[in-house]
Amino acid sequence: MKMKALIFLQIREDLVEENTLGILNKLIETNPSIEIHGALLRDQIKSEWVEEAGKHGVKKIHTVKASELEVYLSIPYVKSMLEIIKDIEPNLVIAAGTVYGEDLIPRLAVQHGVSCAERITDITFDSGEIIFHSPVRDDQVMKATKIVGPIKFATTRTGAFFVNENPSGSSPEVTEVSVTFDEDDMVVKHIEIKKAERTVNLKDAKVIVAGGRGVGGKENFQIIKEIAKLLDGEIGATRACTDVHWIEETYEIGQTGQSVSPDLYIGAGISGAPQHMSGIKAKTLIAINTDEGAPIFNYADYGIVGDMHLILPILKKKLEG
Amino acid sequence: MKIVVFISQIVNPQVKLQGVDYFDSSRVNEDDLIINPYGKNAIEGALKLKEILGADVTAVCSKGLKPNKALREAIAMGCDNAIEVADETFYTEDPLILAKIYTNILEKIEEFDLVLLGVEEQSTSSYATAAMLAEKLNLPSVLYAEEIEIQGDKLRVGHVLEGGRKIVEMPMKGIISCSDSQFFIPRYTTMKGILNAKRAEIPIWNAADIGVSASVVGEEAASLKQISLSNIVIEKESFIIKEGEPEEQVDKLLAKLKEDGVKLGV
Ligand SMILES: Cc1cc2nc3c(=O)[nH]c(=O)nc-3n(C[C@H](O)[C@H](O)[C@H](O)COP(=O)(O)OP(=O)(O)OC[C@H]3O[C@@H](n4cnc5c(N)ncnc54)[C@H](O)[C@@H]3O)c2cc1C
Ligand SMILES: Nc1ncnc2c1ncn2[C@@H]1O[C@H](COP(=O)(O)O)[C@@H](O)[C@H]1O
Repeated sequence: MKMKALIFLQIREDLVEENTLGILNKLIETNPSIEIHGALLRDQIKSEWVEEAGKHGVKKIHTVKASELEVYLSIPYVKSMLEIIKDIEPNLVIAAGTVYGEDLIPRLAVQHGVSCAERITDITFDSGEIIFHSPVRDDQVMKATKIVGPIKFATTRTGAFFVNENPSGSSPEVTEVSVTFDEDDMVVKHIEIKKAERTVNLKDAKVIVAGGRGVGGKENFQIIKEIAKLLDGEIGATRACTDVHWIEETYEIGQTGQSVSPDLYIGAGISGAPQHMSGIKAKTLIAINTDEGAPIFNYADYGIVGDMHLILPILKKKLEG
Repeated sequence: MKIVVFISQIVNPQVKLQGVDYFDSSRVNEDDLIINPYGKNAIEGALKLKEILGADVTAVCSKGLKPNKALREAIAMGCDNAIEVADETFYTEDPLILAKIYTNILEKIEEFDLVLLGVEEQSTSSYATAAMLAEKLNLPSVLYAEEIEIQGDKLRVGHVLEGGRKIVEMPMKGIISCSDSQFFIPRYTTMKGILNAKRAEIPIWNAADIGVSASVVGEEAASLKQISLSNIVIEKESFIIKEGEPEEQVDKLLAKLKEDGVKLGV
């Protein structure tokens, strides 16, 4: 059976969002005959986005253009997606598990009377059946699920799928769908986006020494900075630390922070939440945490179960000496 | 103002049950049960709003073994009331079924303004219930909140966003899922709270009380079917130093890194 998938084409920083491109690659790799449609909702639609999506394998793009769609808001986005779904009757509706994707998909599923697969890291097709794979229990267990119903809905975990570096798709067909909105659709109002300042680029850092909530305060970040300096590396942090301004927002690593791929990542006082870990692809990861059960030890190559306030000063001394 | 907080009871991730054993309820002790940590963040959010607005806060638990224990802790933190909703037919592994159960609970509660939930369930990473509930009830909602501010008769909610934070405004009647940001860091229970919790009468509602039956909330009714749970094989070997004085631990780590040829620094 030929399958039809509809993907929510998210735009971030004026580009088609990376995880979204990763899904396209994954779908084509696992099911070459799949027909991929894209939904592009915005106040303005740029031809670059259309071309980029086409290059990565989207055959048909359905656009809804309206000032109400300038910034993602649940109700107008759901309304628009429902129109597109009605038009094309896909077998699968999928989005990258960004904040917006995770908001959108469960709502669309409810409107079709079915549930959704959450934060999948793999998708397989087994004689017409779609199987979703989601890691649970701090990534110790893989849960395989399927959805009973004519349309399946899923979000992916960010960082799970790679973007094809040499995509060979062509220009997609574009259809404009018209949707009208009323006042009730806009009950939740967008006020502002506080963009985090990205003054330091961590993408190419070879060594990163990062701190989490366990650092305990602004002044304690000093030791993280000193060790980073000794190793000619950069500093990093979890959102828990940037949230309270212990350290500048630019150092946030993870789904909503920067993605990094250093040779060495040292994480101290970090529990290892998936939203943090999904931004890290390190050759070697060293964890320091008082709690032996912290999930970060599942990802660590080396680790010390201990108090970072005791361990780091000793480590620093030894590195100096 | 009336706030309802939905929490769930989970098996403490710290428990020594590895892999799929963690999900085998026959292996779990009562002592290993805790409130889902993000549920505690939602309780904190409700209590903060209660301080400002004088709200009445009701905690509801209908997921997990022994919900009563979780609810007593919610009262000890400062919630005014608690309701246990339990029935052996409930299949709460499907976020849509859970949303259905919550919808009916809210219909029975009847009067409510704000509904708070945790952003996800820690052990399963399941986050969809909040959005599903909002869609079912046709209520305004915000997921992944990091702070809530009151602005006249509206709420200003800051939520997590890739690359920053987004601020939106919504009516007081709606649904919010709460993260573990500073704003939602849960308070400790107080002596007075613990006494209240001991004395509290916590009603127990079953499926019939909220007007549902197995045909809508049972496993058969679920559209999300679990095919399998399997242990993820971690290929890499990790070297974790659990014992020893800090200095010994650091020496051991450095020696091992040297042995393995891992360069520290560039
Ligand atoms: C949609 C969404 C997106 C998100 N995106 C991101 C993201 O991009 N990046 C990110 O980081 N987070 C992100 N988060 C937040 C994430 O879910 C976690 O809340 C956060 O990563 C936790 O940070 P932490 O590990 O520092 O804190 P905690 O989880 O509180 O962990 C602190 C750890 O420190 C240990 N500790 C305490 N004291 C010591 C000590 N003295 N010595 C050693 N160890 C100690 C503790 O045992 C604990 O394990 C996101 C959340 C949401 C909802
Ligand atoms: N998944 C997303 N889709 C679209 N915009 C996003 C997303 N996540 C974050 N944003 C942010 O929303 C703001 C508006 O982005 P832009 O589309 O570039 O105007 C920027 O700060 C983006 O980074």
